[in-house]
Amino acid sequence: MAKILIVDDEEHIRFLYSEELADEGYEVATADSGFQLLERIEKEKPDLVVLDIKMVDYNGLDLLQDIRNKYYDLPVILCTAYDTFKEDMKSIAADFYVIKSFDLTELKNKIKMALETKLPGE
Amino acid sequence: MPEVHLEENPQNITSAQMVVAIPSYREAELIGYPTTQAAQGLKRYFGDKQGVIINCDNNSDDGTKEAFFAADTEDVPQIYISTPPGVRGKGNNFKNLFRKVVELGAEAVVVVDADLKSITPQWIKHLGEPLFNDFGYVAPLYVRHKYDGTITNSIAYPLTRALYGRRVRQPIGGDFGFSGELARIYLASHTWSEAVSQFGIDIWMTTLAMNNNVPICQAFMGRPKIHKPKDPGSELGPMFSQVVGTIFDLMVQSAGYWMRVKWSKPTSIYGFGLGEVEMPPPVKVSQDKLAENFHKGMGVYREAWQQILTEPIFRKVEEVANLPAEQFDFPTQTWAKLLFDYAGAYNRKVMDPQQLLDSLIPLYFGKTLSYVRKTERMSVQQAEDFIENECMVFEETKPYLVDHWVA
Repeated sequence: MAKILIVDDEEHIRFLYSEELADEGYEVATADSGFQLLERIEKEKPDLVVLDIKMVDYNGLDLLQDIRNKYYDLPVILCTAYDTFKEDMKSIAADFYVIKSFDLTELKNKIKMALETKLPGE
Repeated sequence: MPEVHLEENPQNITSAQMVVAIPSYREAELIGYPTTQAAQGLKRYFGDKQGVIINCDNNSDDGTKEAFFAADTEDVPQIYISTPPGVRGKGNNFKNLFRKVVELGAEAVVVVDADLKSITPQWIKHLGEPLFNDFGYVAPLYVRHKYDGTITNSIAYPLTRALYGRRVRQPIGGDFGFSGELARIYLASHTWSEAVSQFGIDIWMTTLAMNNNVPICQAFMGRPKIHKPKDPGSELGPMFSQVVGTIFDLMVQSAGYWMRVKWSKPTSIYGFGLGEVEMPPPVKVSQDKLAENFHKGMGVYREAWQQILTEPIFRKVEEVANLPAEQFDFPTQTWAKLLFDYAGAYNRKVMDPQQLLDSLIPLYFGKTLSYVRKTERMSVQQAEDFIENECMVFEETKPYLVDHWVA
């Protein structure tokens, strides 16, 4: 089963997402900040990253750039309370942009789509 | 395709690491500016590399060559190459460029339009630098007015994204970068056509990069593309059928590839840190002209549409045509299925390809009218979201294309 790394500085979000995604059968790892995120990705080898944008010490959009530069095709879903970050063109390097909600239906759908995405020659 | 080209190489340049190319036809008035900016970009950001600026021209008779050589390039060498007299076409200019790039042994090529008014030296940096960092193709990413680039917004972007699985927002942007290795692939390709030798070249290059699995990134330009804008309701000229015909030709040639693609992936983005993003100037659009062109087409192409479209889609088009003006709407799913019907009909050769492409134009005007109406009160960003949602509809509707491709 696919492994998902959740990067969010809010504990209740990490808990909620972990529980719900584990119920869907995913293996879940969490990180409470963007600190050494690339090293964490190297270690955890996730199939997908769910990334918060507005964290206390880190900007998810900058982290997204770092991830994309090193892992060209690693699916990343930006998950944020704010719709406005969409206006930043950096966000288009993400596979999807999802507004945080306690109903995780959209997030789950986007995770499924991102994991299903297939290009020949990969 | 002409094999002979004319060349003026006053500095007798025989090798280069980096090329900035400016394709042109009758651009004497405007070519000086991008040439100067390109030279500054090469000097400022690629000073350690052997650089050259190449004007690839269609033997313009308005003094384009003289204006190119007259531009101040601060000792960056210049080469002028041209198709023979009478041979036109942007793609033919590129064919000459590919040959020259391979001959010079260049590692990286940046292309910018000759009519660009908003180019800065940083554009050369942003389109060129990724090519020295493992990327093979760099597409531009600029803020465009919501009514600028309607062929891109309603056809080229959603189709290429759904077909080949890479999200390249400006697949026919006109300004881009590619590696010397990709120039060799282009030169060796057997998919060249008359449309590619004209305005089909941009989409052909982007698509070949995608289906050769070349690492692609999009470079943020910071400034909007300011060039000669066109009203989307005005005469399209041959560009529409050359671009769309090339998309359909490539679909026929690479069906084995795109049928295996599911959903789509983003690309890396390069080139942020340019400060505040400049907003594009407005583009005027005549809704009356769009409506008139769409409704006229209903009379002229009704029979052709019946041959090309599946019955439910033809009925839907009739329904759309009968909507009162204030409720006019071309549903995205209908548009996606309509384009897929057209691609299938093109593949099955149900009629002369040019006639088929001509018959799509009024439908495109109808779709554009619907887009203009829906996005009228939207900001540029909201219109972008709207287009992204339309792309998702294309991806979700792709199984319809697979089902109707041969049957």
